[in-house]
Amino acid sequence: MTETVLEIKDLIKDFNGVRALNGVSLSVEKGQTVAIIGPSGSGKSTLLRCINALERATAGSITVHGRTLVSSNEQNQAVYASEKEIRTIRSDTGMIFQHFNLFPHMTCLKNVCYAPVKLKKQSKKNAAQAAEKLLETVGLSDKKNAYPEQLSGGQKQRVAIARGLAMNPTVMLFDEPTSALDPEITGEVINVMKTLAKEHRTMLVVTHEMAFAREAADRVIFMDQGKIIEEGTPEELFQNPKSDRVKEFLKAML
Amino acid sequence: MNGIIEALGGIWNIRDAFAEGALVTIQLFVLTMIFAIPAALPVALGSNCKIPPVRWLCKAYIWIFRGTPLMLQLFFFYYFVFPFIFHAPQVSALTIAVITFSLNYGAYLAEIYRGGIESIHKGQYEAAYSLGLGKTTTMFGVIIPQTVKRVLPSVSNEMITLVKDTALVSCISLSDLFRVVTKQVSARSNPLLYVAPAIFYLIFTFLLTLLTRFLEKKFSVTGEKGSEKK
Ligand SMILES: Nc1ncnc2c1ncn2[C@@H]1O[C@H](COP(=O)(O)OP(=O)(O)OP(=O)(O)O)[C@@H](O)[C@H]1O
Ligand SMILES: [Mg+2]
Repeated sequence: MTETVLEIKDLIKDFNGVRALNGVSLSVEKGQTVAIIGPSGSGKSTLLRCINALERATAGSITVHGRTLVSSNEQNQAVYASEKEIRTIRSDTGMIFQHFNLFPHMTCLKNVCYAPVKLKKQSKKNAAQAAEKLLETVGLSDKKNAYPEQLSGGQKQRVAIARGLAMNPTVMLFDEPTSALDPEITGEVINVMKTLAKEHRTMLVVTHEMAFAREAADRVIFMDQGKIIEEGTPEELFQNPKSDRVKEFLKAML
Repeated sequence: MNGIIEALGGIWNIRDAFAEGALVTIQLFVLTMIFAIPAALPVALGSNCKIPPVRWLCKAYIWIFRGTPLMLQLFFFYYFVFPFIFHAPQVSALTIAVITFSLNYGAYLAEIYRGGIESIHKGQYEAAYSLGLGKTTTMFGVIIPQTVKRVLPSVSNEMITLVKDTALVSCISLSDLFRVVTKQVSARSNPLLYVAPAIFYLIFTFLLTLLTRFLEKKFSVTGEKGSEKK
């Protein structure tokens, strides 16, 4: 039995006249890892940011784990859930940013347990224990008392992943998590993500790492000009792309 | 040469008056800081507020108090606002000075805080919001703690300026250090008495520099100064 945990329908997003998303529909099943690829400016980041409500859609609908973030009315205008519901949905969709965005004034441990303490009303002790486990998962137990500025880029991103996992979100969203890293350390972050994929976390990963998409994704989505052009299993998309645009893109990537 | 030493020796004779004046100066400084430092925060937040009237009000306040001379504000409150608007001629000059200084310094500090808050990268808000944190928690738990360190040097500058600005209250006949010594200078025809307050102000500002250094260390997360990478 599969359970759909993310349902997006006809999503449209305009930035003062620029259409960044032009009717995106997508449904993701529990435990799936979906890689999103595509040229720059195709709307990949915008799609993730709409799911996390960092951007407000112009029209369309998004449902996360049975909760409706946004739906469209008869005039096809986006109608958003209440602020409180939006916050609940946000904590259910962990977001990993290209530039980590760790809180620099908190230790790694505090970065990870801050939201659970504030939002789940967990005791500091319980939250800290859970946070230590998460830091262990990403291989950084020894850095729990370090501050972000004392870490390498790869370590920062792993702490950010632990922070994203701390609210135990239904869906994890990754926006080019390795693009700001030196090539030789992208591996440590990729490995953490592969582990999460194996544990059947539901993940949406915008990436330029074709190797990751090929090896770890259950599905690959190709976007261009605000639309999903093609989607399929990694084999389908990488070995037998149907559309010429995907072919061109893949050729340029290799 | 002997004359100079003798004249400096005269400082000892004004020690009581000096102490009284110094006390007033210190009181004015401390009270102004106690009121202005916290009060500037809501103004800083208000001047970025989404509700237009709140924003206008805060901006107007900042504009007026930063845009006119402090001396004029003192006169205005002392000779007009308190006696004629508040009908409170009995309010002491010290109280009026503290209120005026707090309003003036509150405006400067609000601008500094606002700049500090605006200097925090929007990724910090996004990271907090993406976790489901609300606006208030984000502001007070994530953004403001980061601005403290950034505004510290500017706030310290304001404190040092305030030490020197306290001398302005002589103009509303408040017997601060400067006024007290000035009286003695003319009574004793001994301008070298000014050396005493000069040293006092220097020590005062030096102590503030030390305090700033201590706080900068405390707020620099790793305990090392200037180790932050941008
Ligand atoms: N805040 C914004 N204001 C105006 N236009 C924006 C904004 N954010 C994105 N856009 C526009 O929306 C379109 C999609 O941008 P988006 O960042 O989603 O692309 P992307 O696929 O993530 O690209 P990249 O691979 O470069 O990150 C682009 O044309 C971009 O210029
Ligand atoms: Mg992007």
